[in-house]
Amino acid sequence: MNITVVIPGLNEKQYLARVLKKVRKFSPHIVYVDDGSSDGSPEIARKFTPHILSHEVNLGKGASMRTGAEYAFSKLKVDAVIFMDADDQHDPKEIPKFKEKLLEADVVFGVRSMGASMPLIRFLGNKGASVLLNMLYGGYIPDIPSGYKALTNRGYESVKWKSTGYEVETEIAMRVAKEKVPFTTVEIESIYHDTDKGMTALDALHICRCLVEWRIGL
Amino acid sequence: MMLLQIISVVFGLFMMYVVRIHRRKNHLESFEYGVWMALWTIFITLAIFPESVNGVVQTLHIARVFDLLVVAALMIVIFLTFTNRIEQKKLEKKMEQIVRKKAIDNAIESPKK
Repeated sequence: MNITVVIPGLNEKQYLARVLKKVRKFSPHIVYVDDGSSDGSPEIARKFTPHILSHEVNLGKGASMRTGAEYAFSKLKVDAVIFMDADDQHDPKEIPKFKEKLLEADVVFGVRSMGASMPLIRFLGNKGASVLLNMLYGGYIPDIPSGYKALTNRGYESVKWKSTGYEVETEIAMRVAKEKVPFTTVEIESIYHDTDKGMTALDALHICRCLVEWRIGL
Repeated sequence: MMLLQIISVVFGLFMMYVVRIHRRKNHLESFEYGVWMALWTIFITLAIFPESVNGVVQTLHIARVFDLLVVAALMIVIFLTFTNRIEQKKLEKKMEQIVRKKAIDNAIESPKK
């Protein structure tokens, strides 16, 4: 199976070289999507991969993921993509696990172990999102906000998202649950940094609003 | 003339001036310019002669002319907000498509460099 890793990023100068160096050990094919950075991230990425896509203006994480997926499937003709964040929160040593699981299902969600390393507020937020999704769409998907996930070409066609921002992870989960797309999970480790940008309470509220809007079809 | 009427007339005249400026800067087409000017003219006329729509107010069982103006203004504001939202969404989608297409087209060239 021909697989590429798609990494969307915005002003990730601090971690990008470290992330790409680690990813290259497990996957020679990397697509980096720069979402309008002003810190020269694309120049750093260019040392590790020829596949750099640059948004001239900031569109958001969802739009970057879609740009990367469109490029990978339509231009590089790959069979599957693995999405991971550029802020060194995901360990590339899990990539072989995703590759293995992609043979079983069209969508593979990376699920962080809800242990002591996850801050309590995130733990509660994650659980709440999964429960809400289950109530609205009848499918339980753990750790919805995790950005570490993989899609086959068929899986991508089934869940093609419209969200441009952080709500993309929720929309993908929502579409998987709604369309009954076959999925599986991979347990992953997560690294938390002091400088985490993460989601704000406003982002969380926005995502809840989106879930309800999608449900009633607005 | 009541204070509220004076404020309404001054506001109406100010808005006509703003419309005129945007017309001069070619931000408004002739038709749009005409519609806005007519709207503010009606607003000023009603502010000065509220009794001219007494018939309409009675027919619609509205207590005061002011209430009629508020209802009409609210309808206009909701209509404009809705059309603005649609236009904004269309523009966002177009921009996303353009930015994505440009990013993908340029990326294909980079391995050749």
